[in-house]
Formats: sequence, structure tokens, C-alpha cells
Amino acid sequence: MSKINAGNIAKGMYIMYKEAPHQVMKADFMAPGKGSPIMRVKMKSVKTGATTEFTYKTNESVEVAEVDKKEMQYLYRDGDEIMFMDPKNYDQAGVPVSLVEDQVGFLMPDMKCWVLWFDNLAIGVSLPPHVDMKVVDAPEAVAGNRINAPKRLVKLETGVEVLAPLFIKNGDMITIDTSTGEYISRVVK
Amino acid sequence: MKTWQRIREKPELLKKYLVREKVTDTIRNFFKGLGFSEVQTPILVPVPSAEPNLEVFETQLRTAGGEKRRGFLIMSPEYALKKLVTAGMGNIFEITRAFRNEEEVSPWHNPEFTMLEWYRAGADYRKIMEDFEELFVKIIGRDKFTFQGEEYDIGLPWPRISFEEAFLRYAGRKLEKVKDEDFYQLFFNEVEPKLRESHKPVFVYDYPVSQASLARKKRTDPRFAERFEVFLAGLELGNCFSELTDPIEQEARFKKDLEDRTKLGKTLYPMDADLIEALRTGMPETAGIAVGVDRLVMLAADVPTIADTLFFPGNELFGL
Repeated sequence: MSKINAGNIAKGMYIMYKEAPHQVMKADFMAPGKGSPIMRVKMKSVKTGATTEFTYKTNESVEVAEVDKKEMQYLYRDGDEIMFMDPKNYDQAGVPVSLVEDQVGFLMPDMKCWVLWFDNLAIGVSLPPHVDMKVVDAPEAVAGNRINAPKRLVKLETGVEVLAPLFIKNGDMITIDTSTGEYISRVVK
Repeated sequence: MKTWQRIREKPELLKKYLVREKVTDTIRNFFKGLGFSEVQTPILVPVPSAEPNLEVFETQLRTAGGEKRRGFLIMSPEYALKKLVTAGMGNIFEITRAFRNEEEVSPWHNPEFTMLEWYRAGADYRKIMEDFEELFVKIIGRDKFTFQGEEYDIGLPWPRISFEEAFLRYAGRKLEKVKDEDFYQLFFNEVEPKLRESHKPVFVYDYPVSQASLARKKRTDPRFAERFEVFLAGLELGNCFSELTDPIEQEARFKKDLEDRTKLGKTLYPMDADLIEALRTGMPETAGIAVGVDRLVMLAADVPTIADTLFFPGNELFGL
């Protein structure tokens, strides 16, 4: 069981709050003129998805949730769950969509990801940093607007939209940064 | 992608960044309309404020002749402004950059930020409450507004509640039994969420005297200091004092604050003897407030973070 000072809580971490694991959504430090500096934390229960706010003193000790990682393969989305499979023993596990948030659009069939576990419960997923995806809808650039708008939104095979340069056409493969959702480059065939 | 690149690609993004310009213009017009003078005081100073919990940016000033001096970026322009009040400038305001080191770059903080302070000679903190609510309604331009999906009623006058009453009513606690170190934690865990339910801004006033900072004691009840903070949507928007004008009390508080800095391992520096000198000379009764302009812009533009109001947010500049 490891502990940290509340002053070191940061977005994306997993911490224990009221004996339940929570993902930190926002952590805001505040140093009032007098009294103890505090950390105002907004977090989400990885079991219920409910959000809570709690203010810690920065020197308070907070238990870190022991999260394990296992490499698994993305299968499909089943309603509110994202299904993964362990390629070694074919075990399947579902992660609630609410805990994966904006990364859902970058999951591709058979993609290998790190699934995060707490207490035998799949609570999140960490995608590879880059992913190659096919462009399915790239609108023609408006003539004369090339200088002011060197990029425009294109739709990818999973339905997600990203900004890509004008030379990207329907059917091209492009590399996306999964943490920011930004275009990196065109994949050369 | 950097903010300037995003704006170049999606010129419509510019609209929310331009809110800052409008907010700044509104502030200037508001105070000039009331007859305040706008002043500029140094950002680079030899002695910064004696804040026990804040860390400062330190640099060094070197002359061509080899003279060396310690230099600091201000955490607040308050000392300089009080000296100008003592000089007899009357009602003044300043919009300046201020800096804080060793704070997380977070949704509500940036290492370099814009601070608005105004001082009213011959007034106390109640007059500053009126200034603040009127200014804020001018900035928003309506009696109701939406911030991040929640509607707030900012019609005048805004609710006012003392800390004593707020702690008793919402946390069932007697203020004199709350330890200093627990004060803000208790406030944000038990009191502030209840205040937020009204979907109105609120002035919370009369701090326990141990939290007086640079505020004077309340004449009618010396257990409290004439200080308020104003909260809206979970955000602290301003911190106001009926200013302490007693040089002996001020010197004692400086010494205590600087001792606390030593204990906390913060950068050490002397106290501002020039401010003590000003108080000795005789500073008029004055009330003053510090307001985070970036937070006002964030509310007016309805964006979730301060970074969304800055062309060059700290996390982007420094790769944090």
C-alpha cells in the first residue's frame, strides 16, 4: 500500500477515497494567506462513475489505488462497455465507456492496449501512443482558403473527426496521437 | 498543437480569447467612471510580500559597474499601492501581472497571472463589496449567466454571510473551535458546497482574527478581522481587507509571517521596512481588494480553465 502527500495529487492518478478507488479528474492547489495550503480534488469513482469533490490539506497522506496493467486486445463495443480479450487465455473483460471517455474513438479492432485493473475489476485502458487510421470522409478544401486554413476536419473509420492537412484524401491512412487526438503524419504505403 | 496554431486553423476560436480585452476595458471604464486613478507599480521588486504559504520567483539585478541586488517578481502589488494611498493619491486601481512559483499549473492557476487591485481611501470592506458586485454585473452584462452548463443569478445585491454564521449553519461548527489548519479544508468540504447550491455569488466576511492577514480587527468585535472573500461557482474571485494601518501590529505580523516562511522552507527575504515607514507616516483608513482577472475572464467567456483564456498558457509554454 503506497501513500502520497495530497499536494502531489494530479489529474489522471488513481487514489483511494472512502475506501473506494477514484480517478482524479481535476486537482487544484490553493495557498490561502494563512492556514494550511489545500488541494481541491474532483474525482470519479471507478466502480460507480459518480463524481465527488474533496479538499485535502496538502500535507495529508492519501492512499494510492494499486492499479495493475494487463495487455489485452480490443474486441468491440457492447452498449456501455468496451470489450477486451486476453490473447493468452481468451478471457474477456468489459470496461465501462464512461471510464474511457475521449479515447473510445481511437480503439481499432485487435488493437493491443493496457487494460487497468483494480480488485479484479477492469477500470480503464491505456492506448498505444500512436495509431494508424483510415480516412473515410475528407471534404474538398474550399478554393482560395488554403492560406488561412491549412487543415480541416476529416472523418476516420471509427467515426471520430480530427484536423488534417489539405493534402489528406479519402482512403489515406494517417497516424494519430491518441493522447491529444491530433494528426501526426500520413502513412506512406 | 500550440494555441496560436489552433486559432489559425479555427479562426472562430478567437472569439473567446477576445473576451479578455472586453473584460479589461470594462474594468478600466468602471473605475475611471468612479473617479479612480489608474496606477502602475513595479513587477520587479527588492522585497516581495511576506506571504507564508506562497513561493516567489527570484532573480538578480546586476549593474554594468558590478553592483548586485536580489530581485523578485511580485506576488501582489499591495505594498506599493498602500504606499501610494499614504502618499495621498486617494482612490486608485491597478491591473498588473503577478507571479507565483511552486504551484501546480491547474485549471484555476497559471504561474503568471493578471491581478486587479483597488483601494478606497476613507472606506471599509462593505463599500468594496458594493464595488465588486457592480463591476461583475457590468462585466457579464446581464443579471443571469451560464457557466459550464449551470445558471447563476447575479442580480444585486449579492448575499452576504459571516464566516461565523456560515460555519454554524452549514457545518454545525463554532468558528472559535475550528483550528487554523482545518479552516479552509472545512470550509471547502462542508460550507462552500452548500453556498454553491443557491447558484448565486456570495460574500463571506469577518475572518477569525488568526486569519486576518493584512486586515484590521473589527472594532465592534475583536475576535474577527474585517476581511471578506467572494465566491461564485466554487471559485474564489477576490480577497478584501479593511486595511491594517497600525505600524506596530503590521511589524509583528510581518515577523510572524517571515518566521512561518523559514519553518516552511520557503525563500527568505527581509520585511518591507518602507511599508512600516508608510504606516508610521499615517496611512488613511482604507479598504482594498485583490481580484484574479483571469478567473473573471474564464467566467465571462464560459470556458473551463484559465488556460482557455490565455494565448500562451503556462503549461503549453513550459511543456508541463
